[in-house]
Amino acid sequence: MEVGALALTIGLVCAAYSVAMSLAGGFLRRRDWVASAEHAAYATWGLTLIAVAWLLNALVSHDFNMEYVASYSSTTLPWNYTVTALWGGQQGSLLFWLLILTSVTAVVLLQNRERNRDLMPYVTAVLMTTSVFFLVLLNFVTPPFQRLAFTPAEGRDLNPLLQNYWMQIHPPSLYIGFVSCAVPFAFGIAALVTGKLGDVWIRTTRRWTLFAWFFLSLGNLFGAEWAYLVLGWGGYWAWDPVENAAFMPWLTCTAFLHSVMIQEKKNMLKVWNMVLVILTFLLTIFGTFLTRSGVISSVHSFTQSGLGPFFIGFLAIAAVISLALLLWRLPQLKSENELDSLVSRESTFLFNNLVLVGIAFAVFWGTVFPVLSEWVRGVKITVGPPFFNKVNAPLGLILLFLTGVGPLIAWRRAGWQSVRRNLVPPFAVGFASGVVLLAAGMRSYWGLISFPTAVFVLAGIVMEYYRGVRARQAVIGENPLVALVHLIGKNRRRYGGYIIHIGVVMMFAAITGTSVFKQEQQVTLSTSQTFAIGGYTLRYDGIEQESTPHIAYLRAKITVLQGDKVVDVLKPEKRFYKKPEQPTTEVAIRSTLGADLYLVLGSFDDATQLATFLAYVNPLVSFLWWGGVVIALGTVITMLPGGVTARETAMAAGRFGDRVVVE
Amino acid sequence: MPRSSHPLVSMLVVALLLIPAALRADAPTFQEIEESLTCQCGCGLTVHSCNHLGCGSALPLRAEIREQMSQGKDKPAILAHFVEKYGEKILSSPTTKGFNLTAWVTPFALVALGGTFVIFTLMRWRSRSHVQRSGTPADPHASAQTEYEKILERELKEFDT
Repeated sequence: MEVGALALTIGLVCAAYSVAMSLAGGFLRRRDWVASAEHAAYATWGLTLIAVAWLLNALVSHDFNMEYVASYSSTTLPWNYTVTALWGGQQGSLLFWLLILTSVTAVVLLQNRERNRDLMPYVTAVLMTTSVFFLVLLNFVTPPFQRLAFTPAEGRDLNPLLQNYWMQIHPPSLYIGFVSCAVPFAFGIAALVTGKLGDVWIRTTRRWTLFAWFFLSLGNLFGAEWAYLVLGWGGYWAWDPVENAAFMPWLTCTAFLHSVMIQEKKNMLKVWNMVLVILTFLLTIFGTFLTRSGVISSVHSFTQSGLGPFFIGFLAIAAVISLALLLWRLPQLKSENELDSLVSRESTFLFNNLVLVGIAFAVFWGTVFPVLSEWVRGVKITVGPPFFNKVNAPLGLILLFLTGVGPLIAWRRAGWQSVRRNLVPPFAVGFASGVVLLAAGMRSYWGLISFPTAVFVLAGIVMEYYRGVRARQAVIGENPLVALVHLIGKNRRRYGGYIIHIGVVMMFAAITGTSVFKQEQQVTLSTSQTFAIGGYTLRYDGIEQESTPHIAYLRAKITVLQGDKVVDVLKPEKRFYKKPEQPTTEVAIRSTLGADLYLVLGSFDDATQLATFLAYVNPLVSFLWWGGVVIALGTVITMLPGGVTARETAMAAGRFGDRVVVE
Repeated sequence: MPRSSHPLVSMLVVALLLIPAALRADAPTFQEIEESLTCQCGCGLTVHSCNHLGCGSALPLRAEIREQMSQGKDKPAILAHFVEKYGEKILSSPTTKGFNLTAWVTPFALVALGGTFVIFTLMRWRSRSHVQRSGTPADPHASAQTEYEKILERELKEFDT
């Protein structure tokens, strides 16, 4: 028997043992059984590591007798893609998923060796049950270590669309995000089982939730970058079912990150937070179901199979058990919620949750509606990007507006005077920006709503920072830069959160810019001919050809001019992969902060030497990527330990009114 | 509404009045019809966005759009032609008739319903807070509680982050 396969078989036994012992140990209060279950969980992690190492070794040593290796690699595949072929096929991606899940489980167990001992048996049981599910798939349904009856001389190679830098980091990021969502879920379920429904489980999983959100954000963004560079249609988000699958848990996780603050501060929304945690986990499983099942066609489904029923079964069981536990504990979860005023941070967070979950539902609804239509009417329909854009654009703008309003409204109660003091200046700045845009000739409905709203949010954040910095300057006499650094450092959650909001605003600006003001042109040129787009003149200077054992390249040379000055030379490519024989498009981009000039070589006729190009000018698209960087920075700041104490905050507030933090 | 909120409201009203004036009311264009149709090559994109030059689906569909437009048909008539020929799946969005209408209405109806629920919940919580704050006259500790709550209120206000 293959060592990897043996490791997975023993891994399944260990995982099942871990589930049984942790549950029995938890219910019968046998610490030794719980400890044994945890040891079995560590063993499962070790065995999964052995299985992954075995598959990796087979890949890098080109063991084409192994079906997986023959299907997803070749001798000419560069070493980095040979390694990432680990998740390029279905069996490998499930194994990689299991590795992340068992690793996360091991870290959670290590973190909680001395803490949360009453919750841990059930946390272990939930995480290891998920591992059991994946191990069952890997042992019985889609085993990765199948041998062929013969040894092919060469492998069929990795799908060329996956041979891209972003595909090396997009799936791991997304998997880490998906899998980490299981941690707050496991603690939530443990809280329901034990009846320890206070905020311990919330505080324990806060960083894990942020961690999951961080990687879900990165995963979505890396996927968008991949689509932008590889699919060559000038866009980065097509509302494809697989994209939607990754987006939905991000939305509910974002809602949870906001509403959980209300539970932490006021012990409210316990039921709602539990619902969000369960929903986010179920959506990660649903997302995997969408990718694997083939129920809904997708350009991203590289590894479709008949795994759908298994995932839907697991999803149904997880949903039923979670719901039953929730209903069982409902009386204890219901708190005597109170609110001092309708105008408060709590209210804005509730509306923010409503819109985030509303968008998640709209995405879910649009994704499954074709299936629903076929069931109900027997008619196949398409729910494409225009539907998602039309439904989500207004909801997105409301969300953007709430992003601006929320931080400016005080917790508990905000009097009209404070609302006016906090909201009027940023609102005036946003309004003024709208007037300027209108005067400058902007006539787009969405542009005239979105940009001023973005400016409003940004102005509010700047105002918040300004007040904080001024307060520190007045009390401690720091210079503005030091005051800014200390301000963030002393209340990382709040000011890190604002940085994340800046990133979100940048993304909204990019989405508006590329949706409303995109320019595009298709031209067929002979050598030395030119065409103009977006203030550039583009001259076609001929075709270069190159061939390697792996790929044949057809590379056009385009000189980019502004006036008479050469500002760039772009070389869009057609690539012809030799195994499997498949052409791909490699776009060439001149990226500036204002706009991307995005060039695609469509075709080339050897006889006439005519080349056809698609050219796009995507305004503000770089804000999408930089917005991602800003979000990452903000999240890292928010996750860092330490910060200001409640006493310090209260003291500072006592001296300087209600919205500052000093030492 | 207190006087203090007037500047906000005024700006909002002016903004809402100005924006419709800026709207474009162009007639349907070739691109709009392209975007209303889904390419059948499996790319999942609209006919407009499909970048497969030489695409066996997008190219004939574009030619057909031009041919239909040259007959002077308006957008609904052109889309009706495509639906009749290729079936409803050719449309990039569900129609707004019959069962398909639920695709469009449900998300907004749910958000509206959720919004109403949130507003009622908030009002219930606030009234509960007011009831508790008022206390009962027969309660011998009421005045002490009120005094304590006043202090708590003030400290919590100051504690605001």
